[in-house]
Amino acid sequence: MNPITNFIEKIDQQNLWDNRLELIRKEYLKVKGSIDTNLYFVVSGSLRIYVLEEFEENIIRFGYKNNFIASLDSFISEKPSDLYIQAIKKTELKVIKKKTFMDFVESSAENIKIWHIMLGELIFQQMERERDILTSSPLARYKRVLARSPQLFQEIPNKYIASYLRMTPETLSRIKKS
Amino acid sequence: MTVTSEKLIQDLIERTRININQAENFSSLSAEKLNWKAEKDSWSILQCFEHLNLYGDFYIPEIKKRIESSKTQPKENFKSGVLGNYFAKSMLPKEKLNKMKTFKDKNPIGSKLDKSTIERFILQQKQILNLLDKSREIDLNKTKTAISISKLIKLKIGDTFRVVVYHNERHLTQANKILE
Repeated sequence: MNPITNFIEKIDQQNLWDNRLELIRKEYLKVKGSIDTNLYFVVSGSLRIYVLEEFEENIIRFGYKNNFIASLDSFISEKPSDLYIQAIKKTELKVIKKKTFMDFVESSAENIKIWHIMLGELIFQQMERERDILTSSPLARYKRVLARSPQLFQEIPNKYIASYLRMTPETLSRIKKS
Repeated sequence: MTVTSEKLIQDLIERTRININQAENFSSLSAEKLNWKAEKDSWSILQCFEHLNLYGDFYIPEIKKRIESSKTQPKENFKSGVLGNYFAKSMLPKEKLNKMKTFKDKNPIGSKLDKSTIERFILQQKQILNLLDKSREIDLNKTKTAISISKLIKLKIGDTFRVVVYHNERHLTQANKILE
């Protein structure tokens, strides 16, 4: 079974969520410079995580229904993070604090095992993403992401996908047509 | 007022996040609502934003300049200056919003305004977030900035940040009242 689903069910059962949040479209969950060690579960809606370079917004990751989303750098280091997390549309989240979550993880050998699986998947996803960035052909980048996350194209508007794929919306439209 | 520098910076970052969210909310309103005035000489919502933009035009470059030229080390605590604390506190929106006289060069009445006014404000807030983050590397007490109303007065940069962020809150509260 999907490790995330396993954890969600248990956290629901044990009533461990610390909070529930509702964001309206374009609302910021997190801005640059803040420390955020929460883990967020997306009940509905979608979000983008980005960094601001000068005046360019570079999207690092998305979160949509049934994903966990976090400012992972801050979650791990407990230090400030540059990341912006913004709701793309009306979004509902369940929140669990790092301490609550880590206590939950460490509460059973099974949970620790599942956490290790999740971490392994995360590392693997980061490696895939690293390869995305190093792929110079826009068509090849598009194909890679389409293959591993077809759901993305149902949930997220084109202009944001284009930014994530590091191409203009026009180039993305052209690629999708051909 | 004494507080840890890190707590101060985190508090101002969080207030700025809320200010950005309020601005995003306003930007979804109609041009009509945004330009509406209660009385001839009172401000519309867009005028509130433009006023804040005019202040940002002075303070953002000023704060940036002082941070970049500061040769200080970060200090654990920030102790507010007498004048800085007074200015900062007087900016905070109170229960009953008191009217303050606006300096002529920061009076937005007469300017041509539209949704890009709000976008500009949001962009300025992101610049302020950059500066707040950078300010973790300097001494918030020893680094001083000028203020917009007088070249003779200098404030501790910690207080300058408070003045700017609280001032934003003040006028966003005013803008919310206009909606009612």
